[in-house]
Amino acid sequence: MWASRPRRALRGAPLGLLAVCVLVAIVVLAPVGVTIEQALQGGTSAALRSIDASSARTLLLHSVLVAAVASPLAGLLGVTAAWFIERSDLPGRRLWTLLAVAPLTMPLFVTSYAWASIGTLTQGFLGAAGIIAFSYYPIVFLLVAGALRGMDPALEETARSLGLNARRTFFRVILPQLRPALLGGVLLVVLDTLVEFDAFVALKYQTFTVHIYAQYELSFSASGAAALSLFSIVLCVALLFGESWLRGGANYTRVSHGVRRPVTRHRLGMARLPVLAGFLAGAGISVGIPVGTLVYWLTQSSRAGLEGASANIRYLGTATLTSAALGIAGALLALAFALPISLLAVRHRGPLATVLERSTYLSFALPDLVAAISLAYVASHYAPRLYESVVLLVLAEAILFVPFAVVALRATLGQIEPALEDSARSLGLGPVRAFARVTAPLARPGMAAAGVLVFAFVLGDLGTAQVLLPPNLYTLGTEFEANASTVAFAAAAPFAAVLVALSMLAAGVLMNRFGRVRTMGGG
Amino acid sequence: MADLVCEGIGKSYRGRGVLRDLDLEVPTGTLTAILGSSGSGKTTLLRVIIGFVEADAGSVSVGGETVAEAGRVHVAPDKRAIGYVAQEGALFPHLSVGENVGFGLARGERRQGARIVQTLELVGLDASYAGRPAHELSGGEQRRVALARALAPHPRIVLLDEPFSGLDAALRADTREAVLHALREEQATAVLVTHDQAEALSMGREVAVLRDGRLAQRAAPSALYRTPADADVASFVGEANLAPGEAAAGHVECALGRLGVANPGLEGPVEVLIRPEQIHMTPANGSAAGAVGAARARVIEHVYYGASTVVRLSLERPPGASLKARVSGQELPAPGEAVELAVLGPVVVFPARAASAAHPSFGTEPDPSSDDPRGGT
Repeated sequence: MWASRPRRALRGAPLGLLAVCVLVAIVVLAPVGVTIEQALQGGTSAALRSIDASSARTLLLHSVLVAAVASPLAGLLGVTAAWFIERSDLPGRRLWTLLAVAPLTMPLFVTSYAWASIGTLTQGFLGAAGIIAFSYYPIVFLLVAGALRGMDPALEETARSLGLNARRTFFRVILPQLRPALLGGVLLVVLDTLVEFDAFVALKYQTFTVHIYAQYELSFSASGAAALSLFSIVLCVALLFGESWLRGGANYTRVSHGVRRPVTRHRLGMARLPVLAGFLAGAGISVGIPVGTLVYWLTQSSRAGLEGASANIRYLGTATLTSAALGIAGALLALAFALPISLLAVRHRGPLATVLERSTYLSFALPDLVAAISLAYVASHYAPRLYESVVLLVLAEAILFVPFAVVALRATLGQIEPALEDSARSLGLGPVRAFARVTAPLARPGMAAAGVLVFAFVLGDLGTAQVLLPPNLYTLGTEFEANASTVAFAAAAPFAAVLVALSMLAAGVLMNRFGRVRTMGGG
Repeated sequence: MADLVCEGIGKSYRGRGVLRDLDLEVPTGTLTAILGSSGSGKTTLLRVIIGFVEADAGSVSVGGETVAEAGRVHVAPDKRAIGYVAQEGALFPHLSVGENVGFGLARGERRQGARIVQTLELVGLDASYAGRPAHELSGGEQRRVALARALAPHPRIVLLDEPFSGLDAALRADTREAVLHALREEQATAVLVTHDQAEALSMGREVAVLRDGRLAQRAAPSALYRTPADADVASFVGEANLAPGEAAAGHVECALGRLGVANPGLEGPVEVLIRPEQIHMTPANGSAAGAVGAARARVIEHVYYGASTVVRLSLERPPGASLKARVSGQELPAPGEAVELAVLGPVVVFPARAASAAHPSFGTEPDPSSDDPRGGT
């Protein structure tokens, strides 16, 4: 019986998985490929003509400057919040966790309108850097908090026994091991900054991406936008290589597998009040501003505005349903893309796996508008029935947000002992069944986190929807935008309120699921 | 190095007492092994000493300085100068071996490197190890580096938490020797926590047996093994045959005859401890011509350990009672064979326990039929 079952290699990447991953990579890279092709088709000169050298330099400088200020700030915020929540006796840790995750799931176009409405201080460069740092630091927080939870407490204890105080232990033992998580998180923030559009327009800050949009709206020349996007593609590739170079071999696996015990939390003592004040200030900026502005819009508007709002209420139900359906479909598709890729990256490390995983990140390099245009181009040429159908929009959303799903899945899958899968294989299960019966149930929290993250991003997406949404449909985002751009804030507010409520729900799921493995009795 | 004194340590988690009024003294320059099963509180005690856990009661002092006193004093772990070797070593994965060893040294000393090489050599690793990444080491080497790292900054005492767990037998013996050598060279005051009695007996100058958060006995290894404080300690530190008996005037009457008592003083019903290696077997020759009053038994089975063999025997009287003998394994009686038993040396007696407390051995066994002997291995 045993002899008749051919023993397969347990470690080498199975061809089936590899084939699926290559297929996924091709789909995900399609918009990038089309963009490059369009750009090289002679649009280059026209595009370059549209932008003279000096203003190009200014715009470039703007993009780089925001990224250079916002990403280290996001890293600092994320690591600080994660350390205090995971390693100190800060009171109300669950509430702070929720508030540290919530900004990520909040639609950036709502937040940026809120920032813009405050005054001039929160506009321009300061506003642009601030909104990016405070909206994206949760991604660093989630990754770093997960890494902290996975770190053997014995390492910190040993450092303490060797005479290091809490501060020096942090810099000499904890921080070096957080490097992969921290760099990964900061990289995502940088990439997001480079292609961000809605927020910068609202805050009146000119960057390269904003120029691409202007270029497109001015001339409707897809090739011009594509040519300009070449720049962000090149930068993205450079960053992806740079990050793996910085990371080097620093993919720390635990050297020992000693008995896990709960960490000893650092006592804040007298520092408790200032730390609490800091957390309160952070939450005030990241969550308080959009929620407060929303409440203001709802309560302080003029009579006329409120009439407009009540007139819009009847669209609210349909918009919510459409948004939710799009979000769920996008999340499921992104999960389907991300699962094989992250499995390959976690279980069969090697140059090929790295290239395939990293290639999914390239979809980041495209401003969503450009991605949507190139997908529309592909569809109109090769699949006309897809063109202007909602399927194309779902596909675009899944492609755009698959990197986040990969990040969330990796954080969980990396914690599942390969020995468990090996045991399942040794009990006679094939790779697919071993995955379905062992890996997938254990990774359920991570899959939920990945799905919810993509769901929230789809809800908060505007650029893709504006290009690809069939004309008879409307979402919470498009309705908000339609009203907010005509400064009918009261009318826009109900849509924003539903968006914010949904994003809080998503944050609640994320905080309990991200980077976790299912435990006995847990979900 | 300094001495360690723990007095009246108490600690409970959610109302469950983990440590209760525990006293422990470790003289300067000696190693005390704390032996306990899982859940006996031994790791908690270690964490109280080093300061990761605050006790509810009692005090800890190192070299005369009180580092912890419940409710009053709690010196931070990094200010105690207590070396700590965590389970499985806990080497910093982002540092090389040399950087790990030098971790607790002042910057100048770290850069100069002499102490790093010195402590590496102390644990039996040569200087070439310094440049290697920590994760490339074998399990045994990891434990050695962890000890070198703990010793390098000249701690006042060293605590080792199950330092050899997860190592295979040969590696374990080697590593154990290297650790003992290093501790002796440094004249270290050390506390080693383990659940392995052989490890505790072979390494400790003294062995402290922990049971339900209390110190059951603290003694030199040989004294602990030969004269354990009670029947539980007796069976925890080694294999034990326990039988009911009647003590009087320095002797005890039991199923194995009239035996000399190592701890006289008890009279009346007692529990007798006979170590398996104290039992001597001779063939019964099939006749009734054996020594007068000698106990007779039948061999049930062998368990072969290489250096020695444990023979399970079924006594003739009382019928069905069984016991274990450990012999060197040169001439083994076959299963089913009848033997006569003699006891070498004096035995230890304990006050008889309540009838409800079952005896761990000398219990009634199903009588194996003679044509179906459970053969030895």
